[in-house]
Amino acid sequence: MDPNLSQLLVESAVKIAIFFFVVMTAVAYMTLVERRVSAWIQDRQGPNRVGPFGLLQPLADGIKFLFKEEITPPHVYRPVYLLAPLLIFVPALVTFSVIPIGPAVELYGRMVRLQIADVDNGVLVILALSAMGVYGVALAGWSSNSKYSLMGGLRSSAQLISYELAMGLSIVGVLMAAGSLRLNDIIERQAEHGWNILWQFPGFLIFLTAAFAETNRLPFDLPEADTELVAGYHTEYSGMRFSMFYMAEYVNMITASALATTLYCGGYHVPGLYRLGLPPLVAALVQVLAFCVKVGFFLFVYVWVRWTLPRFRYDQLMNLGWKVLLPTALVHILWVSFVVLMDWS
Amino acid sequence: MPVYLLLELILVLVLFALVRVYAPERTLLAGAILGAGATALLAVNYRALLSLEFWVGLIGFVAILSALMVVIHPNPMVSILFLIVNLFCIALFYLILQAQFLAALQIIIYAGAIMVLFVFVVMLLNLKAEVGLRVAAGPQRWGALLLGAAFVALLFNAIRGRLDQAYVEPGMFDPAFGAARGLGGLLFSKYLFAFEAASVLLIAAMIGAVIMAKRQVRR
Repeated sequence: MDPNLSQLLVESAVKIAIFFFVVMTAVAYMTLVERRVSAWIQDRQGPNRVGPFGLLQPLADGIKFLFKEEITPPHVYRPVYLLAPLLIFVPALVTFSVIPIGPAVELYGRMVRLQIADVDNGVLVILALSAMGVYGVALAGWSSNSKYSLMGGLRSSAQLISYELAMGLSIVGVLMAAGSLRLNDIIERQAEHGWNILWQFPGFLIFLTAAFAETNRLPFDLPEADTELVAGYHTEYSGMRFSMFYMAEYVNMITASALATTLYCGGYHVPGLYRLGLPPLVAALVQVLAFCVKVGFFLFVYVWVRWTLPRFRYDQLMNLGWKVLLPTALVHILWVSFVVLMDWS
Repeated sequence: MPVYLLLELILVLVLFALVRVYAPERTLLAGAILGAGATALLAVNYRALLSLEFWVGLIGFVAILSALMVVIHPNPMVSILFLIVNLFCIALFYLILQAQFLAALQIIIYAGAIMVLFVFVVMLLNLKAEVGLRVAAGPQRWGALLLGAAFVALLFNAIRGRLDQAYVEPGMFDPAFGAARGLGGLLFSKYLFAFEAASVLLIAAMIGAVIMAKRQVRR
């Protein structure tokens, strides 16, 4: 075998293992953060009994899910019913592979990118994978053969079609500014000319709103609206399969936060870091930490919004998507192209 | 030879399908034996896994199989799923031809947006497995068979002289050709008129669809 290729394979395998472990741990602790923060917002205690500050609660939850009985209702369409949780979970995880979490570092005599795959069309790959996530929800709703699930799946597919458009258009501004579809180029451009959030704030707001809708989080959680649809598309799921939907929701949140960080908040870039003259390895570590802090902030915003805003009505959701976000995104593209053309930034 | 490995794997798959159809109670046993056989085949010929020919052949096989399943399967939702698999295979072919931008668009637009609409419609109409949709014997069936045979002959004729070009050399295409910049440059210079004409057509179709939907509401 070609030694270069085998080195690349080993390097990628190590990276994939690390990314998977980190993301899954983050998912486990996001569930705890969500419950603790919601308790804090509502002036309650939250889970604080398992371990210090409730830190072992995610472990207890995991064990409980593993030992729950998996019930497959007799009226479901079995092949699709079993496939649906995977279809929502896998794309959510794979999306993370193109996001850079730090600059290239020299390790053991090799330049190593802190990113699983440095793809030229990174932004498009992310859009394509996030478009795949809807199938999990829609097919779970359809294959369950129950009216609540079907309503949830229907709502989700309509919602995702509506908001994907606004999301894609809001990203166009970022792409025009960077002149590239590669995420590393976008970050480098922001490091040189200032973060995109500073002069593309409308685009950022549209992106964030669409990201909330795409992850089915409140105030856009109509596909699973508990008050009207029991649990929407995953009503008929139990045990580990149910928890896969749950984990996929959190993985999606982490990916969307990482994307918002990369596209609008400079990714791993820290302003003024190069002036300190740190050794490259330490500087890279600081940058990775900065990336994590930024992502953590967006995750907190997710939880914060969930426990602050009530759920939208369905017609309000559609009006917001088609009559407010879409035209605003188009006007925003005009503004950004004007700025890029005049070379103001 | 990667191609022979591929044929052997397909043979294993066919054997498994035969066992499943004719002796359903032995499925698990056959699956274990044939799976072990396939793994051994791959382990012995691991070099083939690194060749482009093997992957092109595999993707082509999956593409044809999924296309057949779209037509054969009685359940419309499963047909849609196989169509998505098929569109993915075509995206992979674009990737092999170094057209990365087209591959991404293929997945975003066809496998993503358009197929979600298909799923939406099937769910909205709540279609169950097809009933009475099979074409009965009669002039329509004979016509379909005749046209199908003519089409197969046409395809065969087109492919026949090209067997020496069945596989693509890795370095044959320029990577910049498939990037967004190259495609955009072509669309806005050489093919500008066709591009604009297509967009005008699409807008006209969209306005037409809106007007027709509105008229039905008024009735």
